Amino acid sequence: MTKHDTRGLVYLSMLVAMGTALHVVEGMLSIPMPVPGVKLGLANMVTLLALHLYGFRDGLTVALMRVLLASLVSGMFLSPGFLLGISGALGSTVVMALLLKHTRCFSMIGISMAGAVGHNAGQLLAASLVLQSGAVVYYLPVLLLTGIPTGFFTGYLLNSLLQHESGIVRDLAPTASAPR
Amino acid sequence: MTRGDKFLLAGLLLFSLLSAGALYGRWLLPQDQKKAMRAVVTVQGKVVRRIDLASGARSSFVVDGRVGSSTVEVDGARVRMLEAPCAGGICVKQSWIAHPGQSVVCIPGEILIRIEGAAPLDAVSR
Repeated sequence: MTKHDTRGLVYLSMLVAMGTALHVVEGMLSIPMPVPGVKLGLANMVTLLALHLYGFRDGLTVALMRVLLASLVSGMFLSPGFLLGISGALGSTVVMALLLKHTRCFSMIGISMAGAVGHNAGQLLAASLVLQSGAVVYYLPVLLLTGIPTGFFTGYLLNSLLQHESGIVRDLAPTASAPR
Repeated sequence: MTRGDKFLLAGLLLFSLLSAGALYGRWLLPQDQKKAMRAVVTVQGKVVRRIDLASGARSSFVVDGRVGSSTVEVDGARVRMLEAPCAGGICVKQSWIAHPGQSVVCIPGEILIRIEGAAPLDAVSR
């Protein structure tokens, strides 16, 4: 983690808290889908915001802290679901950070969608390692076809939030980077 | 939403649909797994006749066993021992068999009728 002043530290901690809350509440919502594992990915929004404002290291810290805290709150620490959450968060954070840093043609929507796909890829990789089987790849189309719309909507939400005329997100964030 | 977003969305959707097609496609295609079933008749360990059960024809024939002549009847996909000279008649009482792995055995005549193929699983536990 890069060195932050107190304001920056507080802001990042707030992002972690928001991500934890979103993650936990989201886990309580049951989405009427025939298969398990389909989630809205609202917490990914917070990761993306941290990546956007502070870069890869802080974004990754926020994502991992969020998964860790949420698993402690919901009593899933070190469970298979926790491992999938960690690997998914890693996957999405890496993908989104790469796109944020090296591309200019995507808005938050595209980056969020790519992050959702990265999340699915990381999850499946971890699941295949845990289960010692490559058969989980059959889950990929299901995850992709649900992950792309949810990634779209969380990206759309974040886009609207960042572009809101009050500029509330940027004003609150200390040393925020230039808007893109 | 930028142009890049739209291209990314289209590309990802295309990829997911392609992967769905590649992974699930073979369950959507019509299956022709029904292999030609055959029954094999052996006497004293030697194969005396192979019967094609897919033809659907009805027929019967005589098999010379160790204790006399038995009659085997074929009706479409099923086979039975119609008559046997042995005392117990267990093979006759067993009646029709129609599934892979099933067999009719006549111990005194040393006649075995067996439908080829692996027997289907009774149950799967996991």
